[in-house]
Amino acid sequence: MSGPQPLSGPSGQVPVPGEDAPPGITRSRRSLPASLLVGATLVASIVVVALLSFVWTPHDPLLVQGAQRLQGPSGEFWFGTDRFGRDVFSRLMYGARTTLLVGVVAVGIAGLIGTPLGVLMGSSPRVLGEVVMRFNDLLLAFPALLLAVMFGAVYGSSTLTAMVAIGIATIPVFARVARSGTLQVLSSDYVLAARSAGRTKLAIAVRHVLPNISGLVIVQASVSFAIAVLAEAALSFLGFGTQPPTPSWGRMLQEAQELVAVRPAQAVAPGLAIALAVLGFNLLGDGLRDRLDPRLDDRRGTE
Amino acid sequence: MARFTRTILGGLVFALVLAACDAGDTVDPDDTADPADDVDEEPDDDPADDTDDVDEDEADDNGADVAGLSIGFAAEPASLDFSTDDGAAIPEALLVNVYEPLVKIDQDGEIVPVLAESYEVSDDNTVYDFFLEEGVTFSNGDPFDAEAVAFSIERVQEDWTIGLASQMDIVEDVEVVDDLHARVTLAEPSNNWLFSMTTRIGAMFSPDGVDGLDEEAIGTGPYLVDDFARGDRIDLVSNEDYWGEAPEFDDVSLRYFADPNALNNAMLADDIDLIGTVQAPEGLSQFEDDDRFEIIEGTSEGQVVLSFNHDREVFEDQRVRQAIRQAIDRESVIETSWGGYGELIGSMVPPTDPWYEDLTDVHPYDPQAAEALLEEAGAADLELDFRVPNLPYAVNAAQTVQSQLAAVGIDAEIDLLEFPAVWLDEVFTEGDYDMSVINHVEPRDIAQYGNPDFYWAYDNPEVQDLLAEADRGDEETFEENYREVARIISEDAASDWLFLAPNLMVANERVGGVPENNVGEMFDLTVLERT
Repeated sequence: MSGPQPLSGPSGQVPVPGEDAPPGITRSRRSLPASLLVGATLVASIVVVALLSFVWTPHDPLLVQGAQRLQGPSGEFWFGTDRFGRDVFSRLMYGARTTLLVGVVAVGIAGLIGTPLGVLMGSSPRVLGEVVMRFNDLLLAFPALLLAVMFGAVYGSSTLTAMVAIGIATIPVFARVARSGTLQVLSSDYVLAARSAGRTKLAIAVRHVLPNISGLVIVQASVSFAIAVLAEAALSFLGFGTQPPTPSWGRMLQEAQELVAVRPAQAVAPGLAIALAVLGFNLLGDGLRDRLDPRLDDRRGTE
Repeated sequence: MARFTRTILGGLVFALVLAACDAGDTVDPDDTADPADDVDEEPDDDPADDTDDVDEDEADDNGADVAGLSIGFAAEPASLDFSTDDGAAIPEALLVNVYEPLVKIDQDGEIVPVLAESYEVSDDNTVYDFFLEEGVTFSNGDPFDAEAVAFSIERVQEDWTIGLASQMDIVEDVEVVDDLHARVTLAEPSNNWLFSMTTRIGAMFSPDGVDGLDEEAIGTGPYLVDDFARGDRIDLVSNEDYWGEAPEFDDVSLRYFADPNALNNAMLADDIDLIGTVQAPEGLSQFEDDDRFEIIEGTSEGQVVLSFNHDREVFEDQRVRQAIRQAIDRESVIETSWGGYGELIGSMVPPTDPWYEDLTDVHPYDPQAAEALLEEAGAADLELDFRVPNLPYAVNAAQTVQSQLAAVGIDAEIDLLEFPAVWLDEVFTEGDYDMSVINHVEPRDIAQYGNPDFYWAYDNPEVQDLLAEADRGDEETFEENYREVARIISEDAASDWLFLAPNLMVANERVGGVPENNVGEMFDLTVLERT
């Protein structure tokens, strides 16, 4: 689970787009990085499949039909059927919905709470900021899965508790990224100028800080999305996430494991789906970073 | 480009790690009602060959050692104390093996003496004279005598907290006639009482050996608890001072696998010698083609029940209950939850009971009829809170049931509860549910339909009277009334009985004498033999 702070390099400097880097290089990239292309394609196809599942799936993903259980891949059942005779492909399509929902909600919670918190702490007096951020670090050390399992035990296992728990556990990541970005922006000349012109802290935060750190937050969102997808899969696999019969890739993997000796292919489809989704969001995050993080421009020249 | 490759690799590793989680991970704590034990000895081959008796100590690392035996189960006991903790796994491990009763059920279902050398029953079925074995001692050194019998029986009435303890309420008095003669007087005649003495409530305790029962088991049995590692295993060693015939295996390790696949894998890897209850029947094919293994398929007393909470208004109408029964294709439930093993039953009676009657046609699968019934009862668009323990068979059965109910317009929302703790508390004790699924393994548990305080709260005076009369009456009345009750509850759709759980075991070539059918509450280790 690395990747919470992809932006604070060894130097601790988080460059702000538009600054430092020679303007010529910053905007001269014409070709999209491969990672962005591949990542965006994977993510887009998952979104399309998820949307498509609202209007069409080859079969009813919830309909149990004992007579056609455990069939291999065929023209009718592209990826075969599970132990309940349900079409695996249809369930994968439906599962994409669960996956995206979890990602959106969890990252939404984390971003909408974490980012303002980070900006606020960045603009607060240094001591207060440091104290709160150390507390934040403490939370950061608390594993998201553990929190989600606790939530499941207290409030009952469901997709909702999983989403909320993953979201809460991800808040510190956003707070941290946002704060380090904020500190950078606040030390820039134009902010000093704005400040001496009598702008309020809120105005500075909204006008100068947020637009300048948005790139960082977007990249972080993409990476966190991948982590959330994986966390939901893990939770559902363990029985703490999405409840049956709602299809979820993690749950499908769990149900397939009893059949691993007989129908190994059953585990491959959801496993691959999870891998591709995680890969897609990670690549998208990487690609976006390449686009949005000018500090990397120098390196690219030498790579 | 380097980073690109790294990310790809990273993604694949994530996926592999997750996919590899299958075998040994904490999936669902399992157990409950899990088949408890068995009967029906197989013809034993040759008398034990004891040649591999060599290294007794130091072989116990992961199970299969030469002198000992390692048995894998799915159901983990919550503690060692079946007087206060529910769950079939505790008596499965300890009854007969560590704690002995006065009488037990043998392989043919007959009641035979254990600690009671013999017993006499008065003509009116109320006075039982037990003549005890001489020279029996508890593992703490105390002698076993009539005082201990009186103590044990009275303790069930006073201190036991599990529901089954109420079967002892009928005892009016226990008299210590002399050291080896205890006389039990019942308040009224009972056909069930002696039978119940073969279950956990008949276990004999030492008056000085009941402090710290959940950690320490002091009984008279052929085995002692050497080590209880929660969540992992119970190690038993043979009791050197045992009064009876020493069992064939000196060390027996009972190992618990929350994950059904891990259990099968342990067997394949020779970590264990016997699977006490196969939980992943789909995996059985791995053993079929392998000469090292023998698959044993018998029947159990475990009825997998779709229970209705009769305290809920929706279930007051018999038509609604019948509609649910008719909406469910039980063949398909067996297919999907037990890989096609298991038998259809139409009521709460296993075919091994003498009062069994084929009632599988009472409310046959007929979705159209079910829909019509629901409409007639004004219960279209029914919504049910379907609270299911997170045991593999239950989760699988629930999904099939859910889908079939959806087909007739019933919305049963599945809510998985951790088993044993949460399910036992919220469903079994508090009765907070509409519908649930569980395997009821206790013998003769049809009597719970006469207990309005049981978690399904079925309150039918006719059934209660019949059961009470059966208990008081002679054997013929008993069987007749039980048969009658089975039919009444079936026609009244008091529950739906999805199927009778199979008793599936896998043994390797080292162990013989494995009982085929699962009768009684214990996994009787004394009948196992070396091959």
